[in-house]
Amino acid sequence: MIKAKQKPIAEIQQLIAPYNNVLVLGCGTCVTISFAGGEKEVAMLASSLRIASAMAGKQHTFTEATVQRQCEWEFIDAIANQIKRADAVLSLACGVGVQALAERYPDKVILPGVNTTFLGMAVEHGVLVERCRACGDCVLGLTAGICPIARCAKNLLNGPCGGSQSGKCEVNPETDCAWQLIYDRLGRLGQLDRLDAIMPPKDWSKDYDGGPRKIVREDLKL
Amino acid sequence: MTDKRDPPATSAEPLPPCVVACPAHTDVRGYVRAIARGDFEEAYRIAREPNPLPYICGKVCAHPCETKCRRNDVDEPVAICALKRVATELHDPRKGHAPGLSVGEPKEEKVAIIGAGPGGLTAAHDLARMGYKVTVFDSYPQLGGTLQYGIPLYRLPRETVETEIAPLRELGIEFVTNKRITDVDALLKDGFRAAFLAVGSQLGRKLRIPNADLPDVWVNMEFLRKVALGEKLDLAGRHVLVLGGGNVAIDVARTALRLGAKQVDMTCLESCTTQPAHAWEIAEALDEGVQMFHDRTFKEIVAENGKVKGVRCVTVSFRGFLPTGAPDMDEFPETEHVLPCDLVIFATGQGPDLSFLPQDGSVAQTRRRTIEVNPVTLATTKPGVFAGGDAVTGVGFIIDAIAAGHRAARSIDAFLRGLDPASVQPSEPEELGDLKEKTISHIRRLAREEMPKADVEERKASFAEVDLGYTRVQAMRAAQRCLTCGAGAKVDTDKCIACLTCVRICPYEVPILVRGTAEVVVDQCQACGLCATECPAKAISMTFDNDDDMTKDIRAAVRKAKGNGEPAIVGFACLYCAYGGNDPNVIKAKLPKNVRTVDVLCSGKVDELYLLKAFELGADGVFVAGCLEGVCHNEKGNVHAAQRVAYVKKLLDEIGLGGARLEMFNLSPQSCADMNATVATLTAKVKELGPSPVRRS
Repeated sequence: MIKAKQKPIAEIQQLIAPYNNVLVLGCGTCVTISFAGGEKEVAMLASSLRIASAMAGKQHTFTEATVQRQCEWEFIDAIANQIKRADAVLSLACGVGVQALAERYPDKVILPGVNTTFLGMAVEHGVLVERCRACGDCVLGLTAGICPIARCAKNLLNGPCGGSQSGKCEVNPETDCAWQLIYDRLGRLGQLDRLDAIMPPKDWSKDYDGGPRKIVREDLKL
Repeated sequence: MTDKRDPPATSAEPLPPCVVACPAHTDVRGYVRAIARGDFEEAYRIAREPNPLPYICGKVCAHPCETKCRRNDVDEPVAICALKRVATELHDPRKGHAPGLSVGEPKEEKVAIIGAGPGGLTAAHDLARMGYKVTVFDSYPQLGGTLQYGIPLYRLPRETVETEIAPLRELGIEFVTNKRITDVDALLKDGFRAAFLAVGSQLGRKLRIPNADLPDVWVNMEFLRKVALGEKLDLAGRHVLVLGGGNVAIDVARTALRLGAKQVDMTCLESCTTQPAHAWEIAEALDEGVQMFHDRTFKEIVAENGKVKGVRCVTVSFRGFLPTGAPDMDEFPETEHVLPCDLVIFATGQGPDLSFLPQDGSVAQTRRRTIEVNPVTLATTKPGVFAGGDAVTGVGFIIDAIAAGHRAARSIDAFLRGLDPASVQPSEPEELGDLKEKTISHIRRLAREEMPKADVEERKASFAEVDLGYTRVQAMRAAQRCLTCGAGAKVDTDKCIACLTCVRICPYEVPILVRGTAEVVVDQCQACGLCATECPAKAISMTFDNDDDMTKDIRAAVRKAKGNGEPAIVGFACLYCAYGGNDPNVIKAKLPKNVRTVDVLCSGKVDELYLLKAFELGADGVFVAGCLEGVCHNEKGNVHAAQRVAYVKKLLDEIGLGGARLEMFNLSPQSCADMNATVATLTAKVKELGPSPVRRS
C-alpha cells in the first residue's frame, strides 16, 4: 500500500498561514493504515494547529473531515460543501488524493499535509518499509520474490555490488542487501543457477522515465 | 460498494451472566462499574431501579449473580452482593428511596396483595407506582414475611426491613396486619378487582419418624418465627441437633447457638460437597462451632420417658430426590448409630400454608401442594387472581420472589386494562458466552476483598449482625475486579478498514477479522480501551468512557483548574493505582484547587486527543498517572499511555507550547499515598514555563 508520513508541523503551518478557514481532510485508506492521514491523525493535527493558532492569538478555524478515498471523484464530490466553505484544504491523502482534489476543485487552494513516501508494508506494528517502486516491469519472478529495484540502493539488476557488507548495504548498514537476500532465497529454492544468466538492461520507459503512465482498459470503459 | 459485513440485524446485545442470572435482571454490571469509579449514588440508583428492596438484598440476597460471575473462571467472583450493600449504606436517604422513579396517575381500581413478604411488597410497590389502590394483607403483626419471621437478625437487622417498608407506606399502599385472609372470593366481591397471592412457604414439615411428636422435637419455621416474635426461648445447656442441610437449617443452627445452646450439631442426607446450603453459610456456621454430620438418614428419635436422647441414623450414599420426592439413596448395612442430643429441630423443608384457598378448588393446586399458575403470567385458575413466589415455586430466593412480584404486577395491570397479560411480559435476555482459555490467561488475577465480619466469639453470644460491610475504598477495589462483560469496544463496520491495529494491540487477543472488517468479540472483550484509542480510523468506540464522555470530563476539569492563581493542571488518573489504594475523593480533596483529575479505568484509555484537548482548552500542564510498568491491569495499557505521552510531548515541542508541560507518572498502587507531591514537581516546572499562551476567546 501507499505509505506516507505527516509533514513537520512547522512546514504545514507555513503552508496554511495565509488562510483563516482550513479544512483538514483525511483519507480513509492507505494513509490511515500508515498512521499519517486517517480520522485520528486529522483530529490530532487539527487540535495541534488550533493550539498553535491560539498561542499566536489568531482566530483560525480548522474543520475536520475524512473521506474513504480521496483518489475517487465520487468520494470527494460528496464533501463539496465543506470544501467550498473552506479557504484552503489541507489534504492528508497521498499525492494522488491531493491532485484529485486540485483537479475537481479548480478554484480551491489544496495543500499537502503528508509526504507520500513509498509503496510498502508494516513489517511490524509501527515499522513501515518500502517494497515496491512501481517500475512498471516486474522482475520478481527472476529474483526469488525480492525486488532489486525497490530494495537495492543502486537498483542493480545483476548484483550484489562490492558494497554488500556481511549481508548489509553500504548505503545504510541497517538495510539488508537485497542481492544477498536474493542469493540466499534462490539457494533455498535450489535455483542458484539463475544467477548464471545476465539480466539484460531493463526497459525504464515503463518506469517514471517514460513520462506519466496510463493504463487503459477499453473493455471496461463506460 | 464494499464487501464489508452488514451490521448485526438485531440491536439487542447479549447481557452479562450476572444480569441474566438475577431473576430481576438487575443491571449488576452498571452498578458495580459505578462503584469502581467511586460513584456510589449512581450505583444505588441503578441497583434500586428494578428492586424495591435493595437494602435487604444487599445483605441477604442469595446472589445467583455471583454464582454466574465470569470471574469464577479466573479466580473468584466479584463480591456483587456486598457491593450492593455498600451502595445502599452510602446512599443519601434525602435523595429518596427510589431516585428517578415516577408514580403514575391515580387509578380507581383496587388490588389486594395477600402476604407482605418480598414478592407481595414488590407487586404492591409496582402497582402503587402505576397508580392503583393497593392493600396488602398479612397474618402477622409485622410486615416483611420471611424477611421479618424467617431470616435471623444476625443476617438481617429489622431496622433494614423498616428502611424498605417506610417508603412503601409513603407510596400510599395500605397495610393490614394481623389479618389472615380466609376468603379470596369475598375480597373480589368487596371491590378488589384483582388479587396477588404471595403467601410464601411458612409451614415447616416434620418427617414421619417415631417420636417426632415429642415436645422437644421442633420445626424450623415455627422456631425462627418464635425467635423473631420475641418469644423467650432459653436453650442454655441444651444439645441441639438440626435435621437438614439447607440454608434454613444453617439459620436454625446458628440461631440455636445464639440462644445459648451448649452444642449445636447438624445432620443431613447430603455429603459435604453436595450439601444444599451455600458454601459461605456453611463456613460461617463451622466458624461458630456448629458440627456437621453428613451422609445420614434419620430412622427415629430416641427418647426415654418422653425426653429426647438422640436421633437414630444410618449412613447413606445419597444421590438426590426422585420426582416423587423420595430420596434416591443406598443405606450402608450395619451403620446404624445414634447422634446424641436433647433437642431436635427439623429443617428438612417447608411449604406454603394453602388452607386459605377457596374450598371449591377454583384456585387449583399442584401435586406438590403449591398454587398452580401460568408460568408466564402467574395467573391462577381463577380469573383476576395471580400467585407467585414460594407459594408457587416451593422454597426460592428473595430475589426470585421480587421478580415474581414484578411479573405479577405487569400481569395485573394488563388484566385490569383488558390486555393479555402474556403480551406484557418481557422476553428473556440473551446471555454472553463463556470466556475462552486464551482470554482468561491474560486477565490479571485479583484477590476478592474479604468481607469484614464480627468476631466469632462475640457473634455467638448475640444476634448482632455478622457481616460488617465494606468501606468505600474496599468497595471500589472489589468493584474494580469486574470484567465489565459485554460492555467493551464496538467496531463501526462502515469506518473499519481492516488495518489490523486492534488485532495486533489487544492484550487479550480478542479482535478478529470477519469478512473484511474487524470484530471485537463481545464475549471476550475486557473493555481495556486500547483498540479504541489506537484505531487510526476512529472506527472503534467504547460502551463506557467514549470520546464524548471524556471530552465533557476534560472540559469540566480544565474549567475548575483555571482561575486559582496557580497553573491549571489537568491529570488523567488511573483508578487502579493513581490514588495509591486510597479513596480518590480523599486524595482529590487534598490536591490544590488548580489540580483536577479525570478518572479513567486504566491509563491505556487516555487518547492523545484527550491530552491535546486539555491544552486546547487552556490547561497549563497535563499529566497521566498510570501504574508501574509490569503491573498494569491490562498488561500494557500504561506502556501505550507512556508512548502516547512521549509522542504528544514532541508535538507540543514542535508547535512551541513545550513538551515539558506534559508528564507521565508511573505510580505504585501501594506506595503512592501522595499524588500531591508527584504533581507538585510538574506544577513547579509549568510555573517556570509560565502560563499557557493558548488564549481562549
